[in-house]
Amino acid sequence: MRRLAAGVAAGVLAAVPAAASARPAASLDGGTVVFFSDTLLVVARDGATLRFADGTTGHADAACVDLKNDRVVLAGHARLAHAEKSAAADAIALELEGPRVDLLDASSGVTRTTRALGPTVPAELDAARFAFPDVADRNAFIRAKHAAITPHADVRFRPAAFPTSVGGLPVPSYLYTFATGAGFAATSLPGSDFDQPYGLWGSPTSLTALHARWEDGPGPAIGLQESFVSGDDAYATAAFDQPLRGYSTHGFDAYRRLGRRYTVSADVTGTIYGTLEHVGTTAAIGAFGGRADYSRTTAGASTFDASLHTPDEPLFAGATWRLKADAGFDAQRGGLLFPLPDAKRYPLVWRHGLDLSVATPVVRMPLKTTLAMTFDAARTWYAFPHRYDVLSASAIASRQLTRKLRLFGGYQESWSAQVYPGLQQLFYPVPTVPILTPDGTPYYGYAAYSGASVLRAVDLDAQYTPTSTSAVHLTVVHTDDFPQYRGFGRPQWQAGADVRVHPFPNFGIDVGRFYDFAWGGTRWVPRWSFAITP
Amino acid sequence: MTPALAAAAAAVFRIVPLACEGDRLAVSGGGVLRLAAGASCAAVVPGRALTIALDADGRVTPRPPDPQARPAAEIPRVAYVFAPAAAAQTDQTELVDATIDVVVPPRTPPTDDIYISTDRSGWSPSEVRMDRVDARHYRLGLRLHRGARVLFRVTRGSYGTIERDAAMALPPAHVLVAEPGADVTVVVANWADVD
Repeated sequence: MRRLAAGVAAGVLAAVPAAASARPAASLDGGTVVFFSDTLLVVARDGATLRFADGTTGHADAACVDLKNDRVVLAGHARLAHAEKSAAADAIALELEGPRVDLLDASSGVTRTTRALGPTVPAELDAARFAFPDVADRNAFIRAKHAAITPHADVRFRPAAFPTSVGGLPVPSYLYTFATGAGFAATSLPGSDFDQPYGLWGSPTSLTALHARWEDGPGPAIGLQESFVSGDDAYATAAFDQPLRGYSTHGFDAYRRLGRRYTVSADVTGTIYGTLEHVGTTAAIGAFGGRADYSRTTAGASTFDASLHTPDEPLFAGATWRLKADAGFDAQRGGLLFPLPDAKRYPLVWRHGLDLSVATPVVRMPLKTTLAMTFDAARTWYAFPHRYDVLSASAIASRQLTRKLRLFGGYQESWSAQVYPGLQQLFYPVPTVPILTPDGTPYYGYAAYSGASVLRAVDLDAQYTPTSTSAVHLTVVHTDDFPQYRGFGRPQWQAGADVRVHPFPNFGIDVGRFYDFAWGGTRWVPRWSFAITP
Repeated sequence: MTPALAAAAAAVFRIVPLACEGDRLAVSGGGVLRLAAGASCAAVVPGRALTIALDADGRVTPRPPDPQARPAAEIPRVAYVFAPAAAAQTDQTELVDATIDVVVPPRTPPTDDIYISTDRSGWSPSEVRMDRVDARHYRLGLRLHRGARVLFRVTRGSYGTIERDAAMALPPAHVLVAEPGADVTVVVANWADVD
């Protein structure tokens, strides 16, 4: 029922674009219309026609719209008409939203009027207004015949072809959004290996987009997301995701900044297994930072956590320390401490904790190497004979072999222990039968697990950057954890390669191939990652 | 003939014409030049860059494309019938290398990659993976059209791991303006998911 409701909600949002879309302020037609995404320039050639929403029309041999500055230049045999009035010049400069119109006559100079084409008056030449960009059409991001422009929001191209994209198919319509509010980056869709949005409707404060996706596990999927954004200060998004083979999910995410010090947020994630709801707030209290979060699931679990942390304080020689204190509770309908015979007496358990972290600066070492380390110690006390301890450390060394080749080596270790004084055997009993891995091999080592675990990882990374816009990464990771066996925990060996190239000015590609070795009863498990970059 | 014209007389310039009528050639920025005797507007297409040669009298003749052409901003002022083109007019076909440097806080998960998210991709949170310089310093080179203005934010690959400011709020987008050697350094104060 919830899935149905979410689907209906997303469908209604998508089907009522009037609430989310703004009427274009202008449209531009030409024999060719090209768009440059990095400079936000739209250029029409071979006969350009500009139409404003107020009925003003312009014609010229060529036209350029500068979306960043809201300016238009009509070049060559330029004519402008509004109601019954008209004006002609060698070039005309005007604004997408403002009334000012500058007319350049190559034999007599510049005169100025308004969009209503009232009387003209002699004027000084404003060179910036008559700037027509020197651009090469072969580097355009999009080639079209028609562009509908909503200032500060988006431009829709019809039909849209992507001349610098290898194999890029032309589409009947493409909405390019250039609104800059931080919330336009927000998503309430689940994670994916690949996500290509396709804008349907937009305005300076909203966007409805379809998402072509590839998700780890289900594979191909279609997502639909509606976003409402208020600058960098607030947003709300709602999304629905349907894999072609798998179960749908839905999500909601909202954020609001309250003054200079506070933020509030709320999010909901729904899957076939239930719904997770979360609300949170952050606060800057002087140099200290605080946050509070509450979440609950439809399975009856909930958590609350409030924390306060110091800023990074100097220790010595550039090292810093930071202390965090937190308090909260964990709750579970039907009882939290299920190994206890009277677990129902403990539906909610309070806790509090301290976390001390120390970080060294990046230190220059011999042989052109650098080294940086972090250390962390945390203990959480529960309102039950129980505590949880974590000690962790990491070190990353780097060495520059040549100007284009760097090597990195990293080591991370984390020891943690769940301690139940007097009740350890109850919570971590010795298995009566050996744990079997997926290939049937018994894992006798599990008998030694009594609440203390260790995570260890060593990684080596080589990074080759032949040009400023291309790179090759080779990575090998070895983990040595406890408990760890085939099918439980992290793979013992992983290797991967990632290549980023930029064959065209407006088109880049990043392809990665990764392997998990000798894990889960298989020889190796390959994975791909793929991204298209502008 | 002025000394400026004498110095420029042997040179060719790359301009973007706005219009050509009679003996007048209006160029990007609004400046108007005079065509040389015998020169015509036949090869002039408004909006498409072309090369012009300047003679000793300050008159111009359209020429075939010349990669050695100098920018329009170097045309002597005295050659213009009306005001010259803007001095800042640049060749936007030129691709320039710009660099983004990012310094991350010590509590950044050590094995995470760092990404740049820009307005060019509709703010895809994993748009371009940065290259690592050392444990807490990342760098990315971008080849952009000169004058391009790129807005960007820093993430660890998803919107849930986007950068936050010192007050844990979403910061405004950073700005990179593509000029030769442009380098923007961003110090990430916090991550959305890390205290």
